[in-house]
Amino acid sequence: MDKKAWIKYLMLTLTVVLGIIATNTKFAAASEEPHYVITTDTTYPPFELQDKNGKYVGIDIDILKAIAKREHFTFKLVPMSFNSGAQAVLSGQIDGIMAGMAITPARKLVYDFGTPYYKTGVITAVAKNSSIKSLNDLRGKTVALKTGTGAAAYALTIQKKYGFKVTYFNDSNTMYNDVALGNTVATFEDEPVMKYAIQNGVKLKVLTKPANSGYYGFGVKKGHNQALIEKFNAGFAAIKKDGTYDKIVAKYIGAEESTFAGSAKVNNSIWGLLNQNKSQFLAGIGQTLMLTILGIILATIFGMVIGLLAIVPNKISHGFASTVIYIFRGLPLLVLAFFIYIGIPSLTGHKLSALFSGLLTLTLNEGAYIAAFVAGGLKSVDNGQMEAARSLGLSYWKAMRKVVLPQGVKLMVPSFINQFIITLKDTSILSAIGIIELTQTGTVIISRNSQGFRIWFLVAMMYLIVITLLTFLAKWADKRFGNN
Amino acid sequence: MTAKVSVKDLHKAYGDNEVLKGINLEVQENEVVVMIGPSGSGKSTFLRTLNKLEEPSSGEILINGFNLVDKNTDINKVRENVGMVFQHFNLFPHLSVLENVTLAPVELGKLSKEEAKTLGMQLLAQVGLAEKADAKPTQLSGGQKQRVAIARALAMKPSIMLFDEPTSALDPEMVGDVLQVMRDLAEEGMTMIVVTHEMGFAKQVADRVVFFADGYIREQGTPEEVFNNPQDPRAQDFLNKVLNV
Repeated sequence: MDKKAWIKYLMLTLTVVLGIIATNTKFAAASEEPHYVITTDTTYPPFELQDKNGKYVGIDIDILKAIAKREHFTFKLVPMSFNSGAQAVLSGQIDGIMAGMAITPARKLVYDFGTPYYKTGVITAVAKNSSIKSLNDLRGKTVALKTGTGAAAYALTIQKKYGFKVTYFNDSNTMYNDVALGNTVATFEDEPVMKYAIQNGVKLKVLTKPANSGYYGFGVKKGHNQALIEKFNAGFAAIKKDGTYDKIVAKYIGAEESTFAGSAKVNNSIWGLLNQNKSQFLAGIGQTLMLTILGIILATIFGMVIGLLAIVPNKISHGFASTVIYIFRGLPLLVLAFFIYIGIPSLTGHKLSALFSGLLTLTLNEGAYIAAFVAGGLKSVDNGQMEAARSLGLSYWKAMRKVVLPQGVKLMVPSFINQFIITLKDTSILSAIGIIELTQTGTVIISRNSQGFRIWFLVAMMYLIVITLLTFLAKWADKRFGNN
Repeated sequence: MTAKVSVKDLHKAYGDNEVLKGINLEVQENEVVVMIGPSGSGKSTFLRTLNKLEEPSSGEILINGFNLVDKNTDINKVRENVGMVFQHFNLFPHLSVLENVTLAPVELGKLSKEEAKTLGMQLLAQVGLAEKADAKPTQLSGGQKQRVAIARALAMKPSIMLFDEPTSALDPEMVGDVLQVMRDLAEEGMTMIVVTHEMGFAKQVADRVVFFADGYIREQGTPEEVFNNPQDPRAQDFLNKVLNV
């Protein structure tokens, strides 16, 4: 109602937004020891998995920790799908990747690897009750591969010979389930990982002997972070020599997953799952809400500005606004997120935090939708309103603000509420760039306990509850402030 | 004495379609000029060029001595002195009746909120709608809306009032009240330019009647001259049709 109070609110929210972004980017500079950001796979046991407290452990993680301690550096672990993590390293967003990454000639062209740390080979696995006896039986059938992995690359080299079709997954757990359920007939996976999974209850069996053997390596972008590689190699030599490495491997290989991830007999009822994972769910909801609310605020500001530019009688601003709307409404959110998070840093050489990239993605995409209905709403206000206000001597912008906007905004309220709900749902797509919001939280928990149905049910309920609350809030705000 | 409004050789075209083909007109202070003519003759377009709601293609327009064609003229300043009343009222539906009247003087820093309220109530009383001050425009009849629109225009204390077919969108029984308000204004000495089809009003109130046809002013003079003894054949034809129904 009072315009000064309104501006104060706006300034306050802007300050909060900028503050959060600023503290987020400052994080890295806080420590005195060199600090690195290192990515790992969301789920790749026994190399990376979550323990019962949701902390990442595994051969990769324990090796990294031991080396960091010896070589005096700190690191922030960013679990992401393997493929996104691998790209994030190449774009300079992330310093290194420790994710059971096989050293291949193709990868050597773009990554520098540390000392090979684990010998591996690719095996083929099929469902336990499968009638497939050899690779020859795969002809005409579909196999499941994990995007960007060495195993997938190997599978493609023999695809012609055996005549199978392929489909891709982003995490191992979903891929195994797909094969076990019979949607796909087989999968190609690294030997230690596959064996570990079978040992821990995945209903698959091994079909072939290890092929294409090679080594896992710790990778950085070629020509970058050489100090990190040197530290890794020095530290690796030391832990190999003093037996720490062997202890770590022995601890995971052949061990039951329950040793780390908690007993399989834990309460797997919905209520039990909710209780065990309470803190993770809360953190996920918090992240989702934060992205949604900041995203909505920023997208609304951006959308209002572009929407106004789209209707002012000026060809340049009109053309500019239409182009912005066309581009950002036309791009799939996922493509935009990858482009900002992975593409822009490759061009500029400056890192963008995942959170910043995510918010920017939401602002541009949701903002473009908002701009479109803002422009539409303002255009649907009768032109006579502008003429009457101008004829009284009001300037264009004063007439816009006092006469056209208040009427237009009222027409836009339903669209705004709709867009808020869409924004909330769209935040789930940002899990792809490693933001652990609610959806990614679900993926991560399932990678630990394999309770797919129940966890997705819980996640779905949480989204519905949050959406219901947000809708109530928006309707209340409309009643309270809209009809003054 | 300089004219309040002085228009020389005014042309206005939309693409190839020329709707004003060289208009010359002077309006003196306190004068009431009523413009009549068939639909599409250009009289409304002409009226709208006088506060630059339409951009003239060529020619000269002086309003209170301000040159409207000059790019350096602050059109907002000119408009503060030129009130306009529209055929479709164009009241602001999100504001109350009183707020419609007080918006411009307050926003433009002419009056404080309190002063504007006092003036607004005076003006609403003048148009007979003081009791509707807190109503929303949607609660008013067409005639009441138009009287509020007149009060809104008067709140800027203009020295010229433009009326663009102010009664054309009204039910017949509403027309009288609006015309009465306009008649009162004329008697108080307001300089008025009125586009209308109300021939009775023209006869009774106009100092001068101007007849438009095909983008030209074909005839002008006192109401007696134009209505009783028109010289132009188009004017004779038009008046014959509208007066002898």
